[in-house]
Amino acid sequence: MISLKNLSKRYGDRFAVDDLSLDLKPGAVTGFLGPNGAGKSTTMRLVLGLDRPTSGTALIGGVPYRKIRNPLRTVGALLDARALHPGRSGHAHLAALARSNGIARRRVAEVLEAVGMAGAARRRAGALSLGMSQRLGIAAALLGDPEVLMFDEPVNGLDPDGVRWVRGLMRSLADEGRTVFVSSHLMSEMQLTADHLVVIGKGRLIMDAPLADVIAGSSLTAVLVRTPHAGDLAVRLRAAGIAVDRLGENELEATGAAVERVGDVAYEAGIRLHELRTREASLEQAYQELTSHSVEYGAGRAGA
Amino acid sequence: MSTLWQAVGAEWGKLWSVRSTWWCLAGALVLMVLSAITLGGATATEALRDGGAGVRLTAGEPVVSATSFVQFAMVAAAMLVITSEYASGSIRVTLQATPARGVVLAAKALVVGPVMFAAGVVSGAVAAASVYVVLSADVFGGLVVMPIGEVVPDLLGAGVFLALVSVMTVGVGAAMRSAAGTLTAVFMLLMGLPLLLLMTGAPVALDASMRLPTFAGLAFMGSTDNLTGGPIPYSAGEGLAWLLAWTAAALATGFAVLRRRDA
Repeated sequence: MISLKNLSKRYGDRFAVDDLSLDLKPGAVTGFLGPNGAGKSTTMRLVLGLDRPTSGTALIGGVPYRKIRNPLRTVGALLDARALHPGRSGHAHLAALARSNGIARRRVAEVLEAVGMAGAARRRAGALSLGMSQRLGIAAALLGDPEVLMFDEPVNGLDPDGVRWVRGLMRSLADEGRTVFVSSHLMSEMQLTADHLVVIGKGRLIMDAPLADVIAGSSLTAVLVRTPHAGDLAVRLRAAGIAVDRLGENELEATGAAVERVGDVAYEAGIRLHELRTREASLEQAYQELTSHSVEYGAGRAGA
Repeated sequence: MSTLWQAVGAEWGKLWSVRSTWWCLAGALVLMVLSAITLGGATATEALRDGGAGVRLTAGEPVVSATSFVQFAMVAAAMLVITSEYASGSIRVTLQATPARGVVLAAKALVVGPVMFAAGVVSGAVAAASVYVVLSADVFGGLVVMPIGEVVPDLLGAGVFLALVSVMTVGVGAAMRSAAGTLTAVFMLLMGLPLLLLMTGAPVALDASMRLPTFAGLAFMGSTDNLTGGPIPYSAGEGLAWLLAWTAAALATGFAVLRRRDA
């Protein structure tokens, strides 16, 4: 539904987005990850036609955003929850948006209800907490009942209930067959929400893969083995091309192979196992590994 | 076409859903009434001192002069229509909803223009009535008259002038983006520049200043005085043409910036 092709955006001599190509599929939550300054927000602005790409294209259903008639009915996006006139009520804000895209007026009350803002709809936006502004921004994104939804850091400022609510919302939007594209810094949140991950660093694509593959691909995802014949098994595993670390007298850690393969090697060698299990890397660990070379504003490792 | 009318509807809703619009228009009304009475009173007093014979002051004349002050209340309201969106970042929401830059700018102009026209005519009418009531007092010698055939064109002229200055401000605002920049630019164009040019006293500068929106507006509204005692050297029609040209130039500049620069 969203298709980026060789998308680049240069500011001066620095590329904020550098030759980015990817396709976002409907029916899935795609998490958009990257360090600060990696180009996530710029990418979203390019998709929405707010910024002009230096080169390349960003298409939605084959069409550039600027060519979509009544675009809020196709793409709903929340970029910055604070981007509201502080003196205008949430209701008036949504009513104006609805009018601009020929959206039925009753939708305003519906989405306000859906995000739990019905009670605060007449309050001036400047008097809303960040969490309430986020809810209002999400309401605006949902207003046109769009096929594509884009959220930039949607859980910022939300309380735990709000975070859980957003998680459920993303899930249900994707389950309805919509394309959901969400950026976040919160890895644990992404691990719970996303089906697919796009990771960028310094504007370049680092990874575009299903969440499960990203985690399986991490060097920190390993098979742990406990056996009285650890030395023998280590030799056999290495012979089979599997990297092995000896953790203790009876313990091995094998990386780069599935648990089935490690078990098969042990079976073929006739080695008794007392324990065989997979230790999955967290998304956070996998992410750190992926981006360790491209952290734009990293603090640097102590002592490194 | 319907995209434009949808955008106009949205801009209309946005204009009236913030208090600043109401404050600016209330300010315009108060300013219009007070300055028209003051200016009318000054004219009447001066005429009486000179004997007062044959002097006739219509209630519309001070309204026309008062637009020089009132325009800044309109400018403030018109400016906020665009600069407040840049200040809050909500311009991005607006452009998400209506990606065609020209449509957004046109919608803002189409809302601001008629609203300021109406505000100008209504506040002008209240001011003219106030001038008539106040200056009917004996101390002003009863010089003031209310010939509807003259006053109504004055009020309509004031409305058109204020509407065009406001639309011009929308264009400048789209180009400048910040409130401070817009206000400075518009103030320089409407006040600073013409006064500076007048102060040089050079005929060429004087001629140039007469083509700026302020004097073009005064000419259009039928005023013949150029503040230095000299005449404005062209007709009302030509004044309107200059005013329209300035407005068009401001909108074109705003459009060019809006289209070229990232939001």
